[in-house]
Amino acid sequence: MTDIATPKPTRASLFQGYRPLPGVYDEMFASDGTLRPHWKEFTHLVDAVGSLELGRRWEQAGRIIQENGVTYNAHGDPEGRERRWELDALPLVMRADEWSRLSDGLVQRARLLNAVLADIYGPQHLVREGLLNGQFVFGHPGFLRACHGLGVPRGCYLHWSAAHLARSPEGSWWVVADRTQTPVGAGYALENRIVISRMLPHVFHHCRVQRLAGFFISLRETLGALAADRRDGSRTVLLSPGPTSPTYFEDSYLSRYLGYTLVEGEDLTVRDNRAYLKTLGGLINVDVILRRVRDRHCDPLELDGSASGGPACLVHAGRRGNVHLANALGSGILETPAFMAFLPAICRRLLGQELLLPSVPTWWCGELSSLTYVLAHLEELVVRPALGDRATNLVHCASLTAAERAELAARIKARPEQFIAQEVVVRSTAPVWSDGALRPGHVGLRTFAAAAGNSYRVMPGALAHVSTSSPEMSGESMFVGHGSKDVWVLSEGPVAPVTLLQPPGTQVAPRRSGHDLPSRVADNLFWLGRHVERAEAASRLLRSVFARLISESSPGGSPELPLLVRALVSHWSNPADALATLDESGVSESLALDCLFDQSQNGSLQGILAALSRAAFIVRDRISLDSWRILNRIDDEFHPGYPLGVVSLSDVLPILNQVILNLSAFSGVATENMTRGPGWQFLDLGRRIERSLAIIDLLHGTVIEASLHEHNVLDALLEIADSSMTYRNRYATNLQAGPVLDLLLIDETNPQSIGFQLAALSHHVEHMPRQQSDPLLSAEQRLMISLLSSLRLAEGNALAEFDDGGVRSSLDKLLSQLAGQLRELARGISHKYLVHAGPVHQMADILPG
Amino acid sequence: MHTSQAFAARYEIVHATTYFYTEPVALCHNEVHLMPRTTARQSCLAHSLEVAPTNGEIDEATDYFGNRVSFFRVSEPHVEFSVTARGRVGLSSARAIEPKATPPWEQVLESLRAPGEPAAFEAVQFVYDSPLVVVDEELAAYAASSFPCGRPWLEAILDLTRRIHREFVYDPAATNVSTPLSTVMELRRGVCQDFAHLQIGCLRSLGLAARYVSGYLLTSPPPGQPRLIGADASHAWLSAWCPGLGWVDFDPTNDVMPNLEHITVAWGRDYDDVCPIKGVFVGGGEHSMRVSVDVQLIENGKAGH
Repeated sequence: MTDIATPKPTRASLFQGYRPLPGVYDEMFASDGTLRPHWKEFTHLVDAVGSLELGRRWEQAGRIIQENGVTYNAHGDPEGRERRWELDALPLVMRADEWSRLSDGLVQRARLLNAVLADIYGPQHLVREGLLNGQFVFGHPGFLRACHGLGVPRGCYLHWSAAHLARSPEGSWWVVADRTQTPVGAGYALENRIVISRMLPHVFHHCRVQRLAGFFISLRETLGALAADRRDGSRTVLLSPGPTSPTYFEDSYLSRYLGYTLVEGEDLTVRDNRAYLKTLGGLINVDVILRRVRDRHCDPLELDGSASGGPACLVHAGRRGNVHLANALGSGILETPAFMAFLPAICRRLLGQELLLPSVPTWWCGELSSLTYVLAHLEELVVRPALGDRATNLVHCASLTAAERAELAARIKARPEQFIAQEVVVRSTAPVWSDGALRPGHVGLRTFAAAAGNSYRVMPGALAHVSTSSPEMSGESMFVGHGSKDVWVLSEGPVAPVTLLQPPGTQVAPRRSGHDLPSRVADNLFWLGRHVERAEAASRLLRSVFARLISESSPGGSPELPLLVRALVSHWSNPADALATLDESGVSESLALDCLFDQSQNGSLQGILAALSRAAFIVRDRISLDSWRILNRIDDEFHPGYPLGVVSLSDVLPILNQVILNLSAFSGVATENMTRGPGWQFLDLGRRIERSLAIIDLLHGTVIEASLHEHNVLDALLEIADSSMTYRNRYATNLQAGPVLDLLLIDETNPQSIGFQLAALSHHVEHMPRQQSDPLLSAEQRLMISLLSSLRLAEGNALAEFDDGGVRSSLDKLLSQLAGQLRELARGISHKYLVHAGPVHQMADILPG
Repeated sequence: MHTSQAFAARYEIVHATTYFYTEPVALCHNEVHLMPRTTARQSCLAHSLEVAPTNGEIDEATDYFGNRVSFFRVSEPHVEFSVTARGRVGLSSARAIEPKATPPWEQVLESLRAPGEPAAFEAVQFVYDSPLVVVDEELAAYAASSFPCGRPWLEAILDLTRRIHREFVYDPAATNVSTPLSTVMELRRGVCQDFAHLQIGCLRSLGLAARYVSGYLLTSPPPGQPRLIGADASHAWLSAWCPGLGWVDFDPTNDVMPNLEHITVAWGRDYDDVCPIKGVFVGGGEHSMRVSVDVQLIENGKAGH
């Protein structure tokens, strides 16, 4: 046993082997190698836990992160390939007094930035008085003229903000970047705290760590104050860019934590200068929007016309004072690093104070003295465009050759006002735990401030980001290629527990899922249902096809095979070639494999599963974790590793069986675990409509015309519809068209029959949200009555009869009628309840003609 | 009523725009700049806006540049949508300026560097790049030959206006609203909007303040005068700033300094700020549009009905 060979955990400290980098400020150890005093209790307590136990708990914590779906979608990948959130087991411990000084500086900075916004979007004294060159306002693409003079309640433009901090080699903190429009990371910081405090409950408790919840309470109170004169029934929403956003996890996490409805641009509409949320039950007024959408993307009418992160006319609704955005639109302008060069003077002018917390030294080359300094010290600096707000075009001058540096200097001299230079930021280090050992990692902090009354409240804690490779930080994304740490700010006194959750004992009124589900979400669930069913129908049909292809049991071959393949191929986006092949040379192995893996065809199983995966990704915060896992598994198991031509026929059946099993598992979880609210209703509507259409298509393609091999065809039909056993129980081996049609069409007790689907649909339609108590039947109800009665009046044996031309014309007629009415039903529901969303067009693109 | 006021000219304007769609448009939001400004020498005497179909009210506001802007929405399905603006304006003559008497252009540049003075502060708004006018070396090089050291500001700009008129061909087929300036430079062709952007870019490349003006031209000129180019639709020209003189208009499409035949609707940094009809809609399939502009001189005796 390996356990015996494992050495006993020694009493030596976990932190003993840690070696900070020479010449770099380390958060835990002073330069003389002694432990900094505020880490003493922490290291002592962690050593008491022991390395092995720490490892075990860390493994558990890792699973929690995975299962909670904490992710950061690093590149906004539309396919949704996401990175798992990287968290280090050891927090960064900060002294109370140091934090308190830092916090004062951060409060002042947030007040200052708010005052700068109030000036830029108001009287513009800073430019008039020469404290800010006009270029940084009037030449700035982030200065939104539509938002000038809009006026915001209590002069609050910045409801919350974030700052990136780094510790200089001398040990003082610098602000490296400000985030003023959609500060990201507070939710990740909270999630980090929850994971680490659960992993080290005892250590956390004894270290007296300040709680984060107070910060979120401030934010919620600030937003609550915006809705002070709220009309009844209005609400606050969190506007997210949607699942393709890198930080979608945080959007949905925060919306749940703060208790705001999570919406996307398409969920909102503006009527009569008011913003509304489109729900199944109608329009609901929205008066406060906590936005995670960047400035320019919030209104395709007055801002960037190519984006629809918000509803058209939102700016004007704000102009009329009917909706408040947090942060105010246009606040992104301050993310430009160049502002840091002017903040000390601006702080004296606007606040009458010295700037407490310095920014990383920044020079605007448009000033002669700065230009001279920059040109003389170029090799020590980072150069970037004056109006850039991201890390693009950033030049590390130290890495340039002499010739490149000379060329850069010439460019700067030609248009000095277009460049800024900053000192290179070298961060401090802290121990990072990996594989039981500690290594120094470079850390930077992202801190958060939320408006509270006339001032700001700083989150006592932060999101620390860690990199073991690069010491430098230039203010760009906190996330790409980095890990993170929880930040523990120690308290000088006892810590009062604060939580956003109701205290125990508070009575909570019971609630039911209502009709305030955003229409878009219902729409997405409807389509998820259709895709799930489409995948299952295709898989079952394919399984029967492949079972026949590889079977050696029937010496006469399987004459029904071409019919089955035809039913498959007819759903392709361009079936012409495949159908021609089928007619000429029958069912070939490669054609069958195309039905599975041809990526160019939407109708191939691969194409259907890809669509399913996309549909699931969009609604993943609306379905249970288990459902999400199952759908993920289908994607994982089917997607990779089966390139065309590599798979042999014998591999196919197990793959198909697995897909069918997973799809059934999804349906099972949905049936058993989803509350019967409108979300489930629309998911099931989608499934029932799709399944009905699949059976109709299958029957239509196989039994309308007389066939010499009817017996084989009927057998295959029963198999595909998973009804062979029921048939045999009822009719033994007497295979006839009439009873088969009865079982697959009319029998409402067979979950695979059309009758069963229609009965379920009818139930849903009866319970659809209705705006008024209309005494008349809705169009959908009428359709359902017609559908159900046509089917109930039908009779299997009569449908099985051929007319003189050898065609089952009454069956043909019935199936066509059902298919037509089902499609009409889907259209009607979609028109009445779901979003009429589509790409937004600009009138300006319409040319005279 | 204003009708008794002594204007050098008064005009009736009808600007009708109709959009056609092959599929119904479910929802459409609009922001329009169609109401003529009142300026030092122009008065908007009357104005009305007709929208069909329509839902709700037309909401008016003033934009960042002081232009009057109207917002409205259509939320009933429609396949045709029309906006008709009618207006009546009175114009006074522009004062004559002696080009040689204006300050050297470098001196104008200096006064823009110190925006403490309120007039200069307004002008500073228009010296930087804007969405459709991004200054590059090519524009700077084109402008340079009109701006030798010490040349009087107006003389230099008039020379630039003349060069653009001479060296660029008016050709509605060559460009559209999204054609970048670099293409206009390359083709040496374009329409009034392109030429205005081009000259604005040239002036801004030197650091001078220039803004885009959108408006109308008289449809039929007085007898004996040639018909100006751009009279059958919205027209565009530019305005440049000089301390003491304020804003002075230039029309590079016709090589004239606008006087009594140019009616100002709105101004901004470029077309994007003052687009006559901005709108976003969902649906619509294939689409097309038709515009007509009619500007008639109100004869003295017949005025004021």
